[in-house]
Amino acid sequence: MMLTRRSFLGQSPLALLGAGLSTPFLITAAQAAPQAGDAPLKIRDLYDKGAVLSPRARALDGTRIAISGFMAPPLKADAAFFVLTKMPMATCPFCEPGVEWPDTILPVYSKRRVDVIPFNVPIEARGVLRLSEFIDPETGFWSIIRLEDARYARS
Amino acid sequence: MNKLFTASVLALATASTAFAQDLPQAGSTWFTDGQATIETMLAKQANTGRALNVILFVADGNGVASNYMNRMWAGQQEGGMGDDYVQPFEAFPELALVKTYNINAQTPDSAPTAGAMNTGVKQRFNLINLGENAVHDDCSTVAGNELTLFSELMTQAGKSVGAVTSARLTHATPAAVYAKTANRNWEDAVPEGCTAQKDIASQLVDAMKAGTLDVALGGGARYFVPEGTETPNGGQGGRADGVNLVEMAREAGIDIIADKAELDALDGSKPVLGLIADSHAAYEADRAETEPSLADMTKRAIELLSTNENGFYLEVESGRVDHANHATNAKRAMIDGKAFADAVAMADEMTDDADTLIIVTADHEHAIAMNGYCGRGTPIDGLCFDVAQTGILHTDEPVLAADGKPYTVVGYLNGASSVLVEQEDGTFAAPDGRPDLTQEQAQDIDYTQQVLIPKDSESHSGVDVALYAKGPWAHLFDGTVEQNYIFHVMDYAVNAGE
Ligand SMILES: [Zn+2]
Repeated sequence: MMLTRRSFLGQSPLALLGAGLSTPFLITAAQAAPQAGDAPLKIRDLYDKGAVLSPRARALDGTRIAISGFMAPPLKADAAFFVLTKMPMATCPFCEPGVEWPDTILPVYSKRRVDVIPFNVPIEARGVLRLSEFIDPETGFWSIIRLEDARYARS
Repeated sequence: MNKLFTASVLALATASTAFAQDLPQAGSTWFTDGQATIETMLAKQANTGRALNVILFVADGNGVASNYMNRMWAGQQEGGMGDDYVQPFEAFPELALVKTYNINAQTPDSAPTAGAMNTGVKQRFNLINLGENAVHDDCSTVAGNELTLFSELMTQAGKSVGAVTSARLTHATPAAVYAKTANRNWEDAVPEGCTAQKDIASQLVDAMKAGTLDVALGGGARYFVPEGTETPNGGQGGRADGVNLVEMAREAGIDIIADKAELDALDGSKPVLGLIADSHAAYEADRAETEPSLADMTKRAIELLSTNENGFYLEVESGRVDHANHATNAKRAMIDGKAFADAVAMADEMTDDADTLIIVTADHEHAIAMNGYCGRGTPIDGLCFDVAQTGILHTDEPVLAADGKPYTVVGYLNGASSVLVEQEDGTFAAPDGRPDLTQEQAQDIDYTQQVLIPKDSESHSGVDVALYAKGPWAHLFDGTVEQNYIFHVMDYAVNAGE
C-alpha cells in the first residue's frame, strides 16, 4: 500500500531532524508564540531552505498555533487525519515521489473524523505543533512534525 | 492610373528614405533606437565556420508567454519596468519560432519534444528516442526502433557530451540526451519481462561507461540507489531491484558528487555523475546555498567538457519552470526563468561565438496567458494596475473585472487552483464568485493564480516556442520551423556543412 511505502518527507526524517537540531536555537518559544490578532502562520514558516525545520518551528514545539493552507484530498476515508498543503494540491502531494518538494505540507491530526473541505479552498487549522518522530499505527504514515488536537475551518 | 500610383509610391519611398531625419518624431529615443537597430542588422555576418561546441539550452515549458513573464520579472528585479529589459539570449542575432507537436499529440509532452531535438525526427507522446512505429508503454516495440542520438554522433566525432538539469537526470529532457525508452516514467524500473531496454537510470550509467555521456549533473539520486540504502544526499534510495548504480558508477571510475562544495572540488580527471538532490533539485526560490544553481552546474560542466580539444555537446535544462507552471504558481516559474537566463549568460561568457553554437529554446508552452490592460511597470507577479492618462507608470488603481474584483496579470486556463469548488453534490461551482484578492496575496511566493477549468495539474499547450541562437550556422534558424529541425542545424554546424 502506498501509505506504508512513503515516509513523510521521502528522505530520512531523522537526517532532516538532525540537520535542524544542529543549528542553534535562535528564537525562544515566548518570542515565537502567536500573539492575539497575529496572522496565522504559513507552512513555509516551519521550514528553512533545504527543507530543514526552522528555528521558529522548533521554538513552537508543543504550543498551540494557527496555520493557513489547503486540505489535500484525504488519504483514507473516515480518518481523523489530513495533510495541510501550502498550495492547492488535487492529489496526495507525497505519493508520487519528487513531484513536490517536501517542505510544502504539514500533517494534521484532528479530534474527530475529518470533514472534507475541497482542496482548492483556503483553510485555517489550529492545534498543537509537535516535533517528534511518529508512525501513525493506522496508516503507517511517518512524520517528524505535525499538528495535533486540531480544529480547522474555511478561512 | 496604375502608372501614376506607382510613381507616387516611389516618390514617397524616396522621400522617407532621404528625409527620415527630418520627421517630427526623429528626435525620439524610440526613433533613434530603431535606426540603430537597422545598423546592427546590416552589420550581421553569417558564421560559416565549423562548430567545435554545441550547447542546447532548454527551459522546460517556457514558451513565448512564459518567457515574456520571465523577462518582465528579471527587468523589474533590476528596478526597471520590465518590458524594455533584454534577457541575455534575447540579444542573440538569430531567432525562429518552433512548432512543438508530437507525432500523435497536438499538445506535446517533454519526452518526444526533447527526443526530436536529439534525433532529428518527431516522436510519439510519452516515449523517448524510439522511431514512429514504437508504441508508448509497450516494451515489445522497443527492439528495432531505437534511434541514433546526437550524443552518439558527437562521441564518434571525438567530442565530449554533457547533460545538466534542475530536474531529475532521469526526467524526460535530460534523458533524451542518452536514453531510449518506450515510457518516460520507467526512470528506475521497467515492467516485468521487459528485456529490450533497461530503466532510464541504468541507461545513464551505461552511457557514462560507454563514453557517450561524460558529465551528468542534476537531481534524481533515489533512482540510482536501492531501497534501504542511503543516497549520496543522505536520503533514501528507491530502486526495488536492489541495484546500486552509484556504486557501479564509482567502480567504473566515475566521480560522484552530491553538493556544490563537492562539485567545486572536482579535479576533472574523470567523468562526473552529480546527483545534487534525491528527486528534482529545489526551485530557485527555495534553493539552499549548499545546492548548486543551474548556472553553477553549467559553469562546471563547460569547464570539465572543454578540456577535450575536439569540443563538446552539452544540453542544459531548466526543469522547474515547467513544474511551477503546472502548479499555477507563476512566481516560482519566473524566478526559475531568471536562473535559466543566468545559466545562459554564464555559458555565453565562457565560450567563443566563433566556435560555439548556442541554442536557447523551450520544449513546449503551457496553458498560460497574460491579462490586460495593465499600465507600464505593473509588477508581473501581482495584480493588473490601470494605464495612466499622463506620464508612463501605471496608476495605483487595480483594473477591476465585471465582478468588481481585481485580477493578476499572469493567468492560466486550467489547473488545481480553479475558482470552481466541488460542492456537496459533486458539482463544481463558485457560489460566491471569484475570490477577492489583494496585491499582498497575489505577490506571495506560494500564491497560485485563479484559473477556470479544474484539473489536478495545469497542462502544457501546443503554442509555438521561441528559439534564440548564436555562433556557427546559427543563421540557419529563421522563420517558423519544426522542432526536429534543431538537430539538423546542430549536425550541420559541427560538420561545417560537409
Ligand atoms: Zn510539464
